This record gives sequence, C-alpha cells and structure tokens, in this order.
Amino acid sequence: MSSKTTRSIAHYLMLSPFMLLFAVFFLYPIVSGFFYSFFEWNAAQSSQFVGLANYTKVFTSRSFEKATWNLLVYVSITVPLGIFVALGLALLVDSFSGFWAKFFRSAFFIPVVMPLFLAATIWRWIYAPNFGLMNTVLSWFGMPSVQFLTDTGTMLYAMIAVDIWVSAGFNMVILLAGLKNVPRHYYEAARLDGASTFQQIVHVTLPSIRPVLFFVITYGLISALQVFDIPWLLTGSSFAEYGGRANTLLFPVMDMMGRGFGSVRFGQASAYGFMLTILIVCVTAVMFALRKRFGDA
Amino acid sequence: MSTIDTSAQTTSFSPALSEARRRSPSFATVLKWILAVCIAIVAVFPIWWMFNVVFSEPGVPISINPRLYPTSLGAGLNNILIIFTETDYLRAYYVSVMYTLLTIAGILLFSSMAAFEFAQFEFPGKKLLFGIVMLSLMVPTAVTIIPTYLLTVQLGWLNTMQGLIVPGLASAFGLFMLIQFMKNIPSEMIEAARLDGANHFQIYWHVALPLSKNALITLAILTFMKTWGNYIWPLIVAPSPHMYTVGQVVGLFNAPYSHTTVDIVMTANLLAAVPPLVFFLIFQRQIVEGIAHSGTKG
Repeated sequence: MSSKTTRSIAHYLMLSPFMLLFAVFFLYPIVSGFFYSFFEWNAAQSSQFVGLANYTKVFTSRSFEKATWNLLVYVSITVPLGIFVALGLALLVDSFSGFWAKFFRSAFFIPVVMPLFLAATIWRWIYAPNFGLMNTVLSWFGMPSVQFLTDTGTMLYAMIAVDIWVSAGFNMVILLAGLKNVPRHYYEAARLDGASTFQQIVHVTLPSIRPVLFFVITYGLISALQVFDIPWLLTGSSFAEYGGRANTLLFPVMDMMGRGFGSVRFGQASAYGFMLTILIVCVTAVMFALRKRFGDA
Repeated sequence: MSTIDTSAQTTSFSPALSEARRRSPSFATVLKWILAVCIAIVAVFPIWWMFNVVFSEPGVPISINPRLYPTSLGAGLNNILIIFTETDYLRAYYVSVMYTLLTIAGILLFSSMAAFEFAQFEFPGKKLLFGIVMLSLMVPTAVTIIPTYLLTVQLGWLNTMQGLIVPGLASAFGLFMLIQFMKNIPSEMIEAARLDGANHFQIYWHVALPLSKNALITLAILTFMKTWGNYIWPLIVAPSPHMYTVGQVVGLFNAPYSHTTVDIVMTANLLAAVPPLVFFLIFQRQIVEGIAHSGTKG
C-alpha cells in the first residue's frame, strides 16, 4: 500500500514539469484571455470592465468585416485547390517506382522545409515589379508587367500560389502514406472490370484514403483560418503597415495582432481571439462529425 | 546451316520487337515525365534562384543576367561577409540557434517524461489529465498568443531567452506522438529493470528513453523546423534588436523603407534557409515519415 503511494508520487513528479508548464502557459492564458476580453485594457489606464463592448466593437468594425470576407474567399480557394494539387502530386509520385519515385517526392517536398517567412520573402522578390523573376519571364513573352502584390485584383491569387508552393508537399507526403496502404488487389479487380485510370482513382483510390483525406482537409482548414506569416510578409511586414493595398491581404489573425500590438487594445484583441477560436472549433467539430459519418474506409 | 541461322534470327527478332514496343514510352508516360519534371522545377527553382541572386555580380541588370545560374562565387562570399559584418545578422543567428536548440531540448525532456507515465502506468487522475492535454490540440494558437504574451510581460520575460523558449515547451503534439511510441515498450522490460533495483527515474532514463530513440529524433527534427520557422512569437515577445531572430531580420528587410538591396535580402534569406535544407538532406526519411505518420495515425 505504501509502496503504491510512493510510486504514485513518482508518477506525479515525472509529470509535474510538463503539467506545470502546460497549466501556466496554456490553461492560464486561455482563462485570463477570456477575462481580458471583457475589459478595456491598455498600458495607460487601469483596466475597466466593459461587458461585451470589445466583442461588439470588433464585430462591427470595418477591418473585421474585410478580414473575415478575405478569409472566406481565401479558405474556399486555397484548401480545395491545395488538396487537389497535393493529391495530384501524390498520384504522380506513386506512379513512378524506385529511384524516380523518391527523387520526385524529395523535389516536390523541398518547399515544405522552408520556413513560411522565407517562402513569403523569396516570393516577394519573385513577384517584385522590376527585379522580379515573374515579370522578367512575362517580358520574354512580350507581356506587360504585373504588379502582383499591389494590384488588388491579383494579390490574393499571388498569395495563394505561395501558400500552395509551400504546403502542397506536406499534404502530398501524408496522402502518399495513405495511397501506400490501399491494397494492390483492389486496383487489379477494378482493372479486370475494365475501369480506366480515372475511374480507378475515383472509385478505388479516393474511397480508400478517406481517413487521410479528412485529416488533410481538417488540418488545412485549421491552419488556413489562422493564416498570418505569408500575408504579413507579402505586405508591409510591420505593425505600422500590414494588409496591403485596400486591406486586400488582411486576415483575422493579422487584424487581431494589429489591434493588440499596433494600437495597444489588448481587450479587443482578446475578444477577437475568442471569436476566431469559436469559428475554428466549430469548423473542426463539423469536420469530425463528417468524418464519423463518412470517414471510415 | 545458313537456313537454321536465318530461322534463328527471325525467331529472336519478334520478341525483341515486342520488347522494344513495351519499352517505347506511351504518350501518357511521356506526358507524365514532362509534368513531373516541370513541377519539380517549380518546386525547386525559387530556392535555386535565391542562391543565384546571392552568387551573382551585384548591380548587373536582370535583362543581362536573369539569375538563372550562379555567376560569381566572390560576389556571394562578399555578400555573406557584408551581412555578417555590417548588420546584426550574426547576433540574430545566435539567438535563433539558441532558441531552437533549447526548445528542442526542453520539449524532448518534458514531453518524454510525461509520455512515459501516460503510456506505461496507471495512476489516479490519469484520464482527466490526458483528456485536458488532448483537448488542447483543438485550441488554436490565435486564442492563446495574446494572453501568453501578456503573461510573459508580467513575468518580466520580454526580450529574454526564457521568454522566447519557456511558453512553447508544453507541446501537446510532442506528448501525443511520444505516447503513441512508448506504448509499444513491453512492460516486462520495465518490470525487469525494477527488479534489478532501478528507481523510477532510472527506468525512464536507462530503459524508456533509449528504446524511444527513433521517435525522439523525429520529434526533435519536427520541433527544429517549427521553431526555426516560428515568426509570430519572436515578433511580439522579442521586439528589441538584440533579441531579433533570423526570421525577424528577414521580415525587417521586407519593410518598405528598409533600403536594403536585393543581394543583401537574399543573402539573409539564403543563410536562414541553410539549416533547414541541411537538416532535410540528412534527415529526409525521418521528416517525411514523421509527417506522414502524424497524418495517418493522428
């Protein structure tokens, strides 16, 4: 009995560093952030309870509306397109074997190891008006130069291109692992039934990798909803200037950070964070419910 | 004699023909190769281009040298020398390296200790603790980043190494990954070590850790990539120049009025890209498998 108690103490001792850090730097901030969101909170004056004012202020502000709209457009393009590209890459790599499968997998994967801040700054220069590679290539074909990052009509698409460049390899690797688990005799059976390659993909491959697809979509949604690094670094890259011309590349996390650190309104920023979290948790919950219903291969 | 010869020739001719037909690539195969090569170029070229900009004579207009290949080793070395002597990039590099290494060490130590307990033992409150930690995987960074920053300020940790590192150490992702792995350690080995007189910590240190080497390496590499590439946390918690990370310097060069030439910006970028690229070349298998594993099992 006493040896059991001492053993329990040993268990808690081993757990304590992690649990302590987790409580202090994860659980406590969530709770304190929730309180901050009901207070007018800045460096100059002591905090003051304002009820839901921070939430209504954020909710009715123009930048919130703009950021949310941008997010909606961005997510509904980048997530499906990104997964479509990743799936294409995975099938392409899977169709090779031996050395070349490994070679192309590595080549397609290399952008993933680039930190997002680097992906953004490299592409910023590729898109640059005078020096940029894109405009040089366009001029070879006699086309007029494009202001990729200042023309409000192209900015979002220029950003999505960077996004897909840096993330497609990540999803490809996960999907490839899913493809490897599809039993080969499924394909043979389909081929005997006279299925074309396309039919095999639709009727054999996709249903078999459903769990992996769900993971990739859910993870893609969660990260896309919190997009920050790439649009931040493709635009002004500072708290004094971000979002780009006409706030075309303004997204909720940027708006939240700007309110906190640009105009020192931490109450509003906390409220913003909670609203965003509710959105993300809802989206995740929907994905999990869908997975429960349709996801089992 | 001669008739046998010709007949032998004709019989050997037809398999050779069908072999040739089988070997000759179909239209679809050619298309597949062209596509794969083109995508590989799109994937790799931006990084190659960055390298070329650094290793080119500065000031040569792009119409004369479009930076499709490196032209001058001296110019590149000169750029690297300039960035190390005339900017604080070396200091930022030091901060980033320390930030990354200490984060890896902390995450490996603390999450492996906790994972050992969760994976191998039963104790009161286990389910509750585990449930809370797993729920946290669903909480986005967006909600914690501002209050965590405010806590760091209250602790007086702004612009300090501990401010950069400590708040990121409780990694639920790392814990989860190590639990999955440590579950496979046979409990007989732990019992045997206990009978040999090893105490609880010794069992963890001498039995569980060595057996989890592969998972620890994978977690270390994934943590490296994440920490080296972390932009948003250093941006707010280390805003003073002496604590800039590589990511922040790269970001500052981006600002509209930084007046930095493209050669210098690209040198900063290239040097920031070197550690992850080297890691990728060495640990490619672990990186790819680690990511694939988190997707198919997680």
